Amino acid sequence: MKLMSRSIHRRAALAGFSLLALGLAAGAAQAQETFKFGLAMPLSGGQALYGQDQVKAAEWGVAAINAAGGVNGKKLEMVVLDTRADPQVGIQSANRLISVDKTPAFISAWSAVVKAIAPVANDNKVVQLSVGANSAEIAKLGDYTYTTFPLADIDITAVANYSATTLGKKKAAVLYINNETGVVAAQIYRDVFTKAGGQVVAYEAYDPKASDWTGSLLKVRAANPDIIHIQGLVSDTPQVIAQMRQLGLQQPVSSYSAVYNPKLIEQLGKAAEGVIATSLAPGLESKPVADYVERWRKEVGREPNGLPYTQYLYDAPYIMAAVFKSLDDKKLPITGENFRKEMLAIKSFDLPLTGKLVINENHTVNKPVYLMQVKDGKWTQLAVVN
Amino acid sequence: MEYLYTIIILVGLYVVLASSFNLVIGYAGLISIAHPVFYAIGAYGSALLARDFGWPAPLAMLAGALLAVAASILLALPSLRVSGDYLLIASIGFQLGLLEIIKNVSWTGGAGGLTNIPAAFAPSTPHWVYAVIVVVVAALSVLAVRAVAHGAYGRAMSALRDDELAFSMLGRNAVAMKVGSFALGCGLAGFAGALYAHQFRYLAPDQFEILQSSAILTMVVVGGLRTTWGPVVGAVMLQALPQAITFMNLPPSLLGPLQGLLFTGLVLVFMFIRPQGLIPAADVWTGAKEAHDVGRR
Repeated sequence: MKLMSRSIHRRAALAGFSLLALGLAAGAAQAQETFKFGLAMPLSGGQALYGQDQVKAAEWGVAAINAAGGVNGKKLEMVVLDTRADPQVGIQSANRLISVDKTPAFISAWSAVVKAIAPVANDNKVVQLSVGANSAEIAKLGDYTYTTFPLADIDITAVANYSATTLGKKKAAVLYINNETGVVAAQIYRDVFTKAGGQVVAYEAYDPKASDWTGSLLKVRAANPDIIHIQGLVSDTPQVIAQMRQLGLQQPVSSYSAVYNPKLIEQLGKAAEGVIATSLAPGLESKPVADYVERWRKEVGREPNGLPYTQYLYDAPYIMAAVFKSLDDKKLPITGENFRKEMLAIKSFDLPLTGKLVINENHTVNKPVYLMQVKDGKWTQLAVVN
Repeated sequence: MEYLYTIIILVGLYVVLASSFNLVIGYAGLISIAHPVFYAIGAYGSALLARDFGWPAPLAMLAGALLAVAASILLALPSLRVSGDYLLIASIGFQLGLLEIIKNVSWTGGAGGLTNIPAAFAPSTPHWVYAVIVVVVAALSVLAVRAVAHGAYGRAMSALRDDELAFSMLGRNAVAMKVGSFALGCGLAGFAGALYAHQFRYLAPDQFEILQSSAILTMVVVGGLRTTWGPVVGAVMLQALPQAITFMNLPPSLLGPLQGLLFTGLVLVFMFIRPQGLIPAADVWTGAKEAHDVGRR
C-alpha cells in the first residue's frame, strides 16, 4: 500500500512538472517578430459574461489593426489570460505576462484585480492599462498603472448634478451595493447632490449577495424622495427596480454606466421606462458604433454585454499600436519604461469607437458623460455632460 | 524568473494551508471549513501592524500568526464544549461575520481591499529569497503536522476522532486536545496569510470567502485526507494545473470554461474513481498494528 502510494505521488508530481516545463519551453520558443501586449480579463467565474465579450472586442480591434498593415509592417500580438476577476489569479497572470511573455504593457480590468497587480507592475516597470475599472483609487496606484476609462467620480458627478439642477429634484434617496464600487460612488453622489442644493433623505446599503431588498426599499419609501439613485450591479439593479415598483415606489430612478445595458430593458420590460443611466462612450448615434453593434448582431447573434466597456476594449489595442509605432519609429528599445514615457508623450489618442482620449499625467482621463434614458423600450440619449 | 517564483510562493503557501487544514479536518476530525478566515486574520493582522504601526515585517508576521491562534482558541472553546457539529456552524458564522466586518470598517480598507502593505524586504533583495523562505516554511509545516499526527499525540488524536467517549473514559482531556490541534492548524494558516500579505501587498476580503474554503478542501481531499503528502500533492496540482493550461495557447472562449471546469471536474473524477485521494491514508487497522508493535518493543 505504501509503495503504491509513493509511486503514484511521484508520477503525479512528474506529470505536473513536465506539463509546466513543456509550456514554458513552448512560450520561450516564440520569436520576437511581433509587437506583443497582454490582456488579463475574467474568462471564467461570475464575471466571465462581461470578460468574454470584452476579450472578443479586443480581438476584433487587434484583427482590424493587423488587417490594415499592423504596426510598421509588423503584426500586433495579444496574449490573453484569465483573472477570474480574482486578485490572486490576476497577480499570477500579470507575472506570467511580464516574465514569460515579456510584454512591456498589458491591459486589465476589475478594480480589485487592477489594485492587486499594481505593485507587480511598479516593481517590474511594466505598464498596466486599466480599461473598465472605475474605482477612484486607481489614479493613486503608482507610476505604472494608468487608466483609459474615466473613473467613478466623473459619471456619478454628472448624474447627481443633472438630477439636482436640470431635473430640479430636491430630495434624493441613494441605494447602493455594499462593495467598493458602490460605497465610493454613493459617497460621491451624496456629496455632489448636497452641494448642488439637494438633500439626501435616505442612504441605504445592501449586501452584494442579497436577493431581497424589501427592508432597504421600505426605508426609502418612508423617506419619500423625489428621485432614487441606485448604485448596483447590472445583475441586481433590474431586480431592485422590479421590487421597488412592486412596493409602490413610482419615483424616477437614476443609475450609472453598468446599468446602461440591453439586459435591463429585457428583464424589466415596461418597468424600465424612464430609468436614467450613464454611458462613458458614444452611443448608436455614432456611425462606427452602430456598425460595431451590427457586427455583434450578425456574428454573435446578440448585442454585447456592457456595450460601452466593449467599445473601450476594442479601442485599447489602438493605444498599444500607437505607442509601439512611435517607439519603433524612434528605434527605441521596447521596454515598459520607454512605453510609459512614450504613452505620456503622445498623450492624446484618436480612437475608433470611443473618440478622443487624453491620458493625464495624474493617471486620470477626460471624457464627456452621455446620459441615457429608457424611452419606448429603447435606450435614448438624454444629454451630454462635458 | 519572477513568474516561477510567484508560482513557487503560491504553491508553498497553499501547501501550508492544505497541510494545516489536513491537521484540523483530517487528523483531528474537527469539521470546520473556516480555514481561510484564519489565513485572513494572519494576513490582515500582519499587514496592519506593519503598515499603520510601523512594526518590522518579521515581527508583524509572527504577531499575525499569533492573532490567528488566539482567534481560533476563542472560536473553538465555546463551540467545542458542546459538540462537533457546532464547530462547523460556528466556524462558518465566524468566517462570514468577520469578513463582513472587514468589508464594513474603514481601517481594513473595506470592501475595496487593503493597499500599500509594506514589502517584507527592500526592493533590492533578489526575488528568489522570498521563494526560498516560503518553501522552507512549507517544508517545516508539513514536517510539524507529520510530527504531531504520527507521534503519541497523533495516536491520541485518532483515538479522540474515532471514539470520543472511549477517549474521555481513558482520562484524557478531549477539549484541550481539540483546541490544541485546532489552534496549531489555524496558526499555521495565519502565518501563511502573513507571508502572502507582505509579498503581494494587496488584500481583498473576497479572497477569503467560502470559495477559498472549497479550494483548500479540494486540495486536501484530492490529494488524500489524513496523509502527510496528500495535501502537498493536492496543493501543487491544483495550483500548477491552471497555470499549465494557459500555456496550451487555447482561444479565450475555450480557456475560460476549461479553467472553470478544472476544480469541479477533478472533484467529480476523484469522487468516482479515487475517493481516497491520490495518496490513500493507511487504514485504521495498520495504525492499530503499528501502535501494537510499538507497545511490544
